[in-house]
Amino acid sequence: MRYVKSIGLNSNQQRGRGFNHPYDIAFSSDERIYVLNRMYPQSSDGIRVQICDINDEWYGEFGHGPGYSNDKFLVPVCMVFDRNDRLYVTDESLNQIKIFDKSGELLDVWGANGSKLANLNGPSGISLDGEDHLLIVEQYKGVIKRIDLEGNLVSQFGGKGSGAGEFELPWGISTDKNGDIYVADWRNDRVERFDEDGNWILSIGSPGQAEGQLHRPSSVCITSSGVVVVADWGNERVQLFDTSGNFKSIIQGDADLSKWSLEWLDVNQDELSARKNSNLKIDELPDHLSTPYHRASQIEHIFWGPVSVKLDQKENLYVTEHSRHRIQIFENIESVVSA
Amino acid sequence: MVNTDRKLAAHLARRAGFGATVDELDRYVTMDYEELVDYFLEPGDTRYVDEDLIFRRHPNLHAQLTHNPMFWAYRMLTTNSPLQEKVALLWHGIFATAEPKINNYGAAVNQINMFRDHGLGTFDNLLIELSKDPAMIVWLDNQTNHKDQINENYGREILELFSMGVGNYTEEDIKECARAFTGWTLKNPEYMALMGAKDSIWPYGRIFWHFEYDANDHDDGEKTFLGETGNFNGDDVIRIIAKQQATSKFVARHLYNFFVADEVPVPSWEHVSPKDEKAIEILSETYMNSNYSIKEMLRVLFNSDFFKAARFTKVKSPAELVLGTLRFTQDFYQIDGADTSVYDVMEESGFMGQKLTNPPSVEGWHTGEEWITSGSLVDRVNFASRYLSDPENIGVDRMLTRVEQLVGKHDGPEQFVDACLSVLGEIEVSKETYESLMVIADHSYSVNLGSDQIDREAVVKIFQLISSSREFQLC
Repeated sequence: MRYVKSIGLNSNQQRGRGFNHPYDIAFSSDERIYVLNRMYPQSSDGIRVQICDINDEWYGEFGHGPGYSNDKFLVPVCMVFDRNDRLYVTDESLNQIKIFDKSGELLDVWGANGSKLANLNGPSGISLDGEDHLLIVEQYKGVIKRIDLEGNLVSQFGGKGSGAGEFELPWGISTDKNGDIYVADWRNDRVERFDEDGNWILSIGSPGQAEGQLHRPSSVCITSSGVVVVADWGNERVQLFDTSGNFKSIIQGDADLSKWSLEWLDVNQDELSARKNSNLKIDELPDHLSTPYHRASQIEHIFWGPVSVKLDQKENLYVTEHSRHRIQIFENIESVVSA
Repeated sequence: MVNTDRKLAAHLARRAGFGATVDELDRYVTMDYEELVDYFLEPGDTRYVDEDLIFRRHPNLHAQLTHNPMFWAYRMLTTNSPLQEKVALLWHGIFATAEPKINNYGAAVNQINMFRDHGLGTFDNLLIELSKDPAMIVWLDNQTNHKDQINENYGREILELFSMGVGNYTEEDIKECARAFTGWTLKNPEYMALMGAKDSIWPYGRIFWHFEYDANDHDDGEKTFLGETGNFNGDDVIRIIAKQQATSKFVARHLYNFFVADEVPVPSWEHVSPKDEKAIEILSETYMNSNYSIKEMLRVLFNSDFFKAARFTKVKSPAELVLGTLRFTQDFYQIDGADTSVYDVMEESGFMGQKLTNPPSVEGWHTGEEWITSGSLVDRVNFASRYLSDPENIGVDRMLTRVEQLVGKHDGPEQFVDACLSVLGEIEVSKETYESLMVIADHSYSVNLGSDQIDREAVVKIFQLISSSREFQLC
């Protein structure tokens, strides 16, 4: 496994290149990266989707918010493309799924008293299974809904609780090559694995900070060779497991300056100079500031708010950090398990 | 079983917290008063809304990019240990640090955490933590206090505003104090101070700060400070400051001002005697006899007759008014990412004159009657009235239900008014205020004569009137 690069730059602007609390990404068939720019409802605008690629090209943006009309986002959470390049974006506060084409044209809206999925309740994670069904996490009910691409309910499973197959405020969701379903069971500090029919198989992780333990996992993805990648959000790290739930490795993050960052520093030489005179790779912190959160907030190159883990077609791993406003990319994840 | 007078318990809850709801008071009165004081001072299992939930719903608070004390407010609104928060507010007002200069909200949050963690401990330890606090270091420029070129800013303020007060030290003491604090800085001071000065969020957001002691930049030479001579470092200076009689009286007067009754602003203390010299003497002695323990001073204070007799003698600060009203009316354990109400109300506190984490100067806020202006009074009344008059607010609904339980079918308007004053936190009003309330209550009763149920609109109307009374502005 190797760190490849970072994409991103913080921006508090309502428009233009740069991220403000990116929350999730999705890949179109032409390998462009769609970045969900969460921003926050106190902002006047700027909640939107930006489009870029792994070579740092920025192609534009669409959508806006905050707002309550169908064409606006309020609290968008997760995204996925289907095989027809239609982008589905969940909004946990509007209780909606908004559907766009890859150019950003709004195609449809489900949920919140619409004709489709009228009773959707706090949608968070969203994924596509092997049969072109959407898997949607309803966090407040603790239910996973399987939906066809017309917005019709096919099946559902789960329930609120902490027992096997139950959830407390679940978040991210993904499937492996066999169709098994993995859900980041956020408040139960675990990832739950189900077969494609929603039958519970096993739980991965337990509450804590030690290796293999999780604290408020937010996202999960699985490589074709069976590496389960978990955004261990509350512990400010990413952990790797095998599909049986055995711990394999930790990724803490290793960002360097992105192309956009270097361009920004090039026109802010005072800050570039001060950076060069600094030691930002801090290894010692006072005891009271040594929690994962405090470490992440003080050490720039490690993950801070690793909210989403996604794999591209080549199975490069993309870790989106909402509090560092960037995406760190890693390659050769499989080596961790084969090693 | 009732072991403590309900009005006295409510008084303690207003001062040691943000007031008590009827349910909380039901619990408090079952304890002996001394036991209740201990409950506030040593609450044990502190609970408040899950920070992870706040962060999930509001990632801007995780990254602390917003210049608004919303994050702290969530804790103040939900904690079951309100004295910790009041103590943090106390020290925030004394060791006033304004975030807009440092432009690093994470540093501001960490400073508030420090006040919460150490604010009830010993004063010398608190001063050491304060001197190591990166927000304070940058606020008073101690990162530019070098052994070959001192910056006396922190050395001056720790004596003048943070511990002893003017008239108890010399200009030479200030310089020697500054020398002792050379080398007390933060990691990467040049870059961090530059990012703060430019309010830079680039390239990757804020980097929070931590203390670093630079031995190479510390003046290790001999110093004479407050009559003692030695190769003093910062903690030696604090040890000397803490044992001064002036410090004991300074701390005592601050506690009296914050928890008992409004005093004149600190710059006048040199010339104006304390409102209650005997009380200051008692607290000062406790300071000296308890190894400078703030907790022991407060234990004595809350159990004293001068505290018990001081009901409704202090003007609520805007933060106390706003947070107290919200704790009475709403539930913040469920958080929606689209809900901006906590952000908005903390802005309103600012409009009323107290934007937390942004005090007007190193002196902090001037308190007491200075909180009240013609503009701020309208804001305060409108704010409280708006929240207390909305029956959709879960806390208002609970209070309405309690009024229905308290007022019997054959009771008159007097019982009705008394019930309203009770559920709003055992508010004690003047004769004039009471008579005004009775006029409205009388009218409501005549309109609803014979009805089996209390008219909720009439209750809400009385709530509104009480919230616009002089006494509601006091605590």
